[in-house]
Amino acid sequence: MAMTTRQRARTSKTVQIVLFFVIIIALIAIVDWKKASYAFFSFDKLGPMFPDMILVGLKNTVFYTIISFAFGLVLGLLLALMKMASFAPYRWFATAFIEFFRGIPAILVLLAFGFGLPQAFGTQWPQPVNVMIALGLVSAAYIAETLRAGLQAVPKGQTEAARSLGMPAWRAMVTIVIPQAFKIVLPPMTNEIILLTKDTSLAFILGAAVAQYEMTKFGRDGISQLDAGITPLVVAGLFYLVITIPLSLVARKFESRAAKTKR
Amino acid sequence: MSNDTNALSVHAAGVEISGLRKSYGDNEVLKGIDLSVKPGEVVCLIGPSGSGKSTLLRCVNLLEKPNGGTILVGGFNATDPEVNLDQMRQKVGMVFQQFNLFPHLTVLENCTVAPIKVLKRKKVDAQKVAKGHLDRVGLGDFGERYPDQLSGGQQQRVAIARALSMEPTLMLFDEPTSALDPETVGEVLAIMKSLAQAGMTMLVVTHEMAFAKEVADRVIFMDGGVVVEEGKAAEVIGNPQQPRTQDFLRRVLDPTHVDI
Repeated sequence: MAMTTRQRARTSKTVQIVLFFVIIIALIAIVDWKKASYAFFSFDKLGPMFPDMILVGLKNTVFYTIISFAFGLVLGLLLALMKMASFAPYRWFATAFIEFFRGIPAILVLLAFGFGLPQAFGTQWPQPVNVMIALGLVSAAYIAETLRAGLQAVPKGQTEAARSLGMPAWRAMVTIVIPQAFKIVLPPMTNEIILLTKDTSLAFILGAAVAQYEMTKFGRDGISQLDAGITPLVVAGLFYLVITIPLSLVARKFESRAAKTKR
Repeated sequence: MSNDTNALSVHAAGVEISGLRKSYGDNEVLKGIDLSVKPGEVVCLIGPSGSGKSTLLRCVNLLEKPNGGTILVGGFNATDPEVNLDQMRQKVGMVFQQFNLFPHLTVLENCTVAPIKVLKRKKVDAQKVAKGHLDRVGLGDFGERYPDQLSGGQQQRVAIARALSMEPTLMLFDEPTSALDPETVGEVLAIMKSLAQAGMTMLVVTHEMAFAKEVADRVIFMDGGVVVEEGKAAEVIGNPQQPRTQDFLRRVLDPTHVDI
């Protein structure tokens, strides 16, 4: 018997609702909630994690993110300009750099810098410095591509108009092209900062002094030191959201303002 | 619009072009152009698309780099590798087919950004000059708006005011009405006419034959990268001598005309 479109839509909706409740009921019946809540939600036993989780962990995560991003942004802009340069060796270098650091896992770069730099050059600085250098290099590769795309998305006529008003190339870039490119790259740059925030968690594999711990390290240690299952990791995860969700909201606000004025 | 056409103080400059060549790869677009525009003169470049007229115009302020020949603009040798192009371009206003207004700046800022950043004018002085030119194009009340809030015709008028705000001695127009809705073409042409009457040197690439005939001192017909015919506007358009010019004008003036 053939069903009309509306009948089919109604049937499909009914199936979805039934399936949803079946899954919920199955979860309630199958899962051992006592064990599960011990593993994930033993919040009452986390006292010893605080206030260091926030005063040290959160602070360091934010700090590593900001420094890595600042480094990545400067280097990324340089690479983007090199990639658009008329001098071919600049373009080759930028392309090679970008492809290399985008193509290998961040954790490899981190390990290479954490263990390789001291070995090869006898550097003595604390491990978090290596972390920030490594993450800065990796994010520079992504940022470079984002910036290049943004700069090239500004129509050529904008540069021509600026140049024909007597602006030197750098002035046309700074006053006319970059402000317009900024609006284009805002969403992907937000993405980049969020990725970077999470990537700072890789720092825990290099080891560091307690004052240099970031949030994941605190979560990791919490598992072995506290009788709370993996709840310390759940808490670390929640604190990452405390950083990343406001970032998304701010970016969305910028974006909708830009969209409203169509500028 | 302001009727006071004398409000524009013009130090007109001329253009001398000789032997100008330009190629893209193997495609030679300009095959040795000789052309002169006297100070205060209005010259219209007409011709079929692909004839090289826009390229020629863009060579004058070096938006396109010529492969040969010389271009003298005012006191500048544009084709001298040592010339300060930025300084030269300050004196050469350019109006584009697609307006190319800066969308992130207000109308007034569009007209003041170059005077402030390039000529190092004080902001208030630049605004005063810019407002004068916005009045001239009939958009004195639109200073705080953004380009995307204006019609095409209004945007092109702002583009003219922006160019004038640098107080150029020569104005280049690259098909300034080709991207406009038909009902807004007139307002832009009227401003160009008033500029011509105020004594501005103008080199205009256009398909508006009525405008060329009425406003231009001279008309130059180009085809295939060479100047085919040039002379007084009324003569070239009203009584063309060359077959190619006759053919072109027949098509333009009577779009339904087809040679079968």
